[in-house]
Amino acid sequence: MPADIKTDPSSHRAASLEGNVFVCQSDADRIASIDQAFDYRGDVTLQVRGETVEGYIFNRDASAKPPRIEMFLKGSDEPRIIPYADIESIAFTGKDTANGKSWDAWVSKKASERQAEIERLAAEAAERGHL
Amino acid sequence: MVPISQAWKVASYVAVQKYIKGNKRYPLVLMLEPLFRCNLACAGCGKIQYPDHVLSKRLSPQQCFDAVEECGAPMVSIPGGEPLIHPEIKEIVEGLVARKKYIYLCTNALLLKRKLDLFTPSKYLTFSIHLDGLKENHDTAVCRDGTYDTAVEAIKEAVKRGFRVCTNTTLFNHAKPEEVREFFDVAMDLGVEGMMLSPGYVYEKAPDQGGFLHKDSSKALFKQILDKPKKSWKFNLSPLFLKFLQGDYDFECTPWGSPAYNVFGWQKPCYLLQDGYVKTFKEYIELTDWDNYGNKSDNPKCQDCMVHCGFEPSAVDATFGSWAGFMATAKATMAA
Repeated sequence: MPADIKTDPSSHRAASLEGNVFVCQSDADRIASIDQAFDYRGDVTLQVRGETVEGYIFNRDASAKPPRIEMFLKGSDEPRIIPYADIESIAFTGKDTANGKSWDAWVSKKASERQAEIERLAAEAAERGHL
Repeated sequence: MVPISQAWKVASYVAVQKYIKGNKRYPLVLMLEPLFRCNLACAGCGKIQYPDHVLSKRLSPQQCFDAVEECGAPMVSIPGGEPLIHPEIKEIVEGLVARKKYIYLCTNALLLKRKLDLFTPSKYLTFSIHLDGLKENHDTAVCRDGTYDTAVEAIKEAVKRGFRVCTNTTLFNHAKPEEVREFFDVAMDLGVEGMMLSPGYVYEKAPDQGGFLHKDSSKALFKQILDKPKKSWKFNLSPLFLKFLQGDYDFECTPWGSPAYNVFGWQKPCYLLQDGYVKTFKEYIELTDWDNYGNKSDNPKCQDCMVHCGFEPSAVDATFGSWAGFMATAKATMAA
């Protein structure tokens, strides 16, 4: 579960948002939070008019009438469209898959850590029959 | 070098778009991403970091065909993810060949040798093999030992069976010109038709003085790499793009020249940036705010970009867009 509650998403540009929850207390909050969630490479959990919705936000259109997001829910092939106005909070509940994936991060790891990661990824690919 | 039939098809397509239909914005290469899942996890790659349920999504062959028809580009690049993982890649390729599209199937080649039997050699199908240099450099770049040897073995087998094969190399500022030139010799000795190369896209680059230096250093690097090119080197790139990489010719980006379609839809504005998705190619062309992108815009994400997918279409457009561009291309071709 999220570790803390914050309402100022603009202050969290640099670090991973994994574990954070943004409660939308104003339209500006909502827009900023949605932009952050759109950039996030993990699943999020939304409160939408009292309903809990979990999935990956792959699109947002602030200029649409009404403004809306599109997300893939886990286990569903059809994207779900949700109006901005219906979103009450956004929790960054899924793993941030991009966190620590930069070239610099890779180089800065110890050789043993890199080797372990290489072997883990290769084993996962082999398990899926992709090697 | 590409076959004459391909060059003619592209030239005539551009002429029709520019001079008969009067299209200001037209696609040249569709970047068709049928899935994001990959069997490598190269450090710094920004293409494959998604939750598992997204990585499991794939475009169906029919979705691929619909996108290709809708877009109308004469060439289709199939990157990913790793397209050879797609269980219906055979059907996708066959369908595109039947539509007489020139396909570049971009692969790390880990599965190529095993899957070659799925495909039939054709002038429409080229395997574009990801090789970022010689053994040590490539294996480091893709974060797995042995990948270079597997890819080289697959290239040899594909060439032996009569497939069109080229290499696809991304270079960063730490590349050493002499090693890259040595790699070009080795790649051509493998019997590939040609080589593609591009500077990498630095997603997190800030728009500061250092950023400008980065672009200049890219040009300096390519200047050294491509200085006095050997006659044996063949590039599957337009001569003006090679001039652009060396800083001898300047273009503005043409993001709509290589539109990207994937499981999310048509990606705005280009293959590298994700500012949103639309459902149709028409919406992509008409609704994207193009003034927000390119070197001339204030968009910091575009300031250092010299990547192939944005500037090769510019080079092709320049070649066929004016006598000066055409003559510059002819001159560059003869000098190579």
